Amino acid sequence: MKELSFAQNFSVIALNAQDSLHLTTAKKVFLRCMAAATILELYLDNGFKTEGDFLILNQEDLNSPEISRYHKAVLKTLFSKKETLSEQLPQYLKKVTKLSKKMLKEVEHAFAVALTEANALEEIPALLGCDLEYVTAGISMKEYRSNSELFSRLTESLRAETLETGPMTDEAILMLWLLRESGCIHDFFSREELKRVAERIFELQGSSSLAKQVFPITIHKTIEMGIKNFLKSKKDVMSTASGSGINFVFPVIERSQSVFIDTEKVFANKEERLRDIKARLESKGHIFTVIREGEVPLIKIDNVLYEAVPSAKLYRIPVHGVRLRKYPLSL
Amino acid sequence: MSRQRSMEKILASEFVSIGELVRLSGCRYSTLKFYTEEGMLPFKQEQENLTRRFPREETLVKIKEIQDLKKQGHSIPEIKERLAKKM
Repeated sequence: MKELSFAQNFSVIALNAQDSLHLTTAKKVFLRCMAAATILELYLDNGFKTEGDFLILNQEDLNSPEISRYHKAVLKTLFSKKETLSEQLPQYLKKVTKLSKKMLKEVEHAFAVALTEANALEEIPALLGCDLEYVTAGISMKEYRSNSELFSRLTESLRAETLETGPMTDEAILMLWLLRESGCIHDFFSREELKRVAERIFELQGSSSLAKQVFPITIHKTIEMGIKNFLKSKKDVMSTASGSGINFVFPVIERSQSVFIDTEKVFANKEERLRDIKARLESKGHIFTVIREGEVPLIKIDNVLYEAVPSAKLYRIPVHGVRLRKYPLSL
Repeated sequence: MSRQRSMEKILASEFVSIGELVRLSGCRYSTLKFYTEEGMLPFKQEQENLTRRFPREETLVKIKEIQDLKKQGHSIPEIKERLAKKM
């Protein structure tokens, strides 16, 4: 696989498991950070002309052959109607908080196209799209899945650089800042490791001029970050053993963790139920393996384990089927 | 400012950091750290607070060897014993 740029590497981490069809709050947070990553990449690669602390960029610089499609998508949003920009790095980065929905969609598209071409990203159907209510309403749900090997190499090498002693590279420093600003640093470091990360950031601010310049900058919007964190914590709670039990009784609490698949027959037996689940999953293009058959089969769908528990939904007439419940051991 | 080395440069160098080793081998950081702490992977460290440097070719061969032995069902103490005998 072709080696990706810094901003593309961050995007591989940021876009993984994001809804690809809708501009969710969580995705907005990541897209702003992807735009910031593009500015930082240009800064690292000396793409700006400098005059003291000021970084200068002209409209005509966008025509340079080194400027790729995603650079253009981000940079043209910064210019608005100006011909030349002359600002310090923090001001450039702050601009990403003002990007409109339309601009964010353009940024997403530019990155998604390039990453898909590089086999670093693919669009897969979201499991929630198999739910009876989504199927009957004709709602198509899709999400991004990053190349798992690349994703693992990127996140693990960042962990190594951060948790080891010795100097950190500029890319790792900026990646750490971007993860902090996108509110997902907790996804990659354990609670114990986060203490070391905090120490490391403190050390870096004393030893690295780049860290000293970047870490005081905040580009997140408090409301967006609050909503993102609330939804994430709700999902995390409902993924525990007791949480999934509660969610099974009250699926409305966390719809994405409780998918109802209807069976063709009322009071279907275990073989008929499994056949209908397989048919639905196949029709929506999921990759699955049946690990255990029986009354409550265990199925691995898109690398996650689910139990298919017989269930019924009451509309005007009762509908029989199964509810896919995330298997707690898969966590 | 110190920039991250490209894969081409890493592949041309004699010694690599643990982060670069992660990129080369695709192993998890915690796995490589465990192997290092168990003395299964040799490294050089000029001072206590400086980056550990691993001889690239030798370490990658060792990682592959450890992974193969693990697949064959050997335990870590057994693998350590085998590696020690070879040295």
